[in-house]
Amino acid sequence: MSEQRRYFHEIPLGEEYESPGRTVTESDLVIFSGLTGDYNVLHTDAEFMKQSIFGERIAHGLLCLAIQSGLFNRAATEYATLGLAGLRWKFKAPVKIGDTIRLKAKVSAKKDLDKADRGLVTIERTIVNQRDEVVQQGETDLIVEKKR
Amino acid sequence: MSIRGTYFEDIEVDKIRETPAITVTETHVSLYLGLTREPAAAPAAVPAALVLCMSIGLGWRVKEPPLAVLAFVGLDWQIVREVRVGDTVHGRSRILSKRPMRDGGFVVDERSLIDQHGEVVQQGKFTFLVAKRKEVPA
Repeated sequence: MSEQRRYFHEIPLGEEYESPGRTVTESDLVIFSGLTGDYNVLHTDAEFMKQSIFGERIAHGLLCLAIQSGLFNRAATEYATLGLAGLRWKFKAPVKIGDTIRLKAKVSAKKDLDKADRGLVTIERTIVNQRDEVVQQGETDLIVEKKR
Repeated sequence: MSIRGTYFEDIEVDKIRETPAITVTETHVSLYLGLTREPAAAPAAVPAALVLCMSIGLGWRVKEPPLAVLAFVGLDWQIVREVRVGDTVHGRSRILSKRPMRDGGFVVDERSLIDQHGEVVQQGKFTFLVAKRKEVPA
């Protein structure tokens, strides 16, 4: 384990993070369809989507949700995370191939759990695109280890 | 061309659908970690978000046509227990409610993911905007 991992008490409430950008590519969509089996026409049929309100294929909502999880780890010093407990999430606007997304995040709540060796850290998260438009927004609850 | 699937009008509230299962492999985890650049998990651990992502594809393997989704609106999701490489999960879903809008309608889908022991590993609610039959673009 790296010494840089931060334990529950070392994570200040209100701390903010901003990630580097990540361009969402056609390859991301194709790999994600293959990985998950989600071949919805929204993500896979370029001709059909030309005639849709989006005008082109859009990224899977959950693909961007997964990508932001990786972006969070590039923005914040690694937590001593034991696992994800839950999330509440809204998909606000489409992400298209070639869009560059970034994560803005903030530690919005911390609470103790029944087990003395861990606590719950709630992170408020907003994904924005290259025009600073909010594309996804939500909260995630992480179970983080306490230092003994 | 049109979106094929179950349109808003045809969705049956309270009907339970069970999906086929999928075994979560080391390959799924490797592809997922490369795609998202999440830090490598402990050996045999499966990132919870990967299991959530795979649940959508399970819904595509049932006989009934999938919902004619115009947009994925949001989700509330709880992780109940850890999934390990080699575990086999399937989904169970039930439409809780549907609410017509001018363009399509909102549908709340209650889902759980269940492992090979019959234990719920993740559960929650998905909200979709689903196309009405007449609004499907020609």
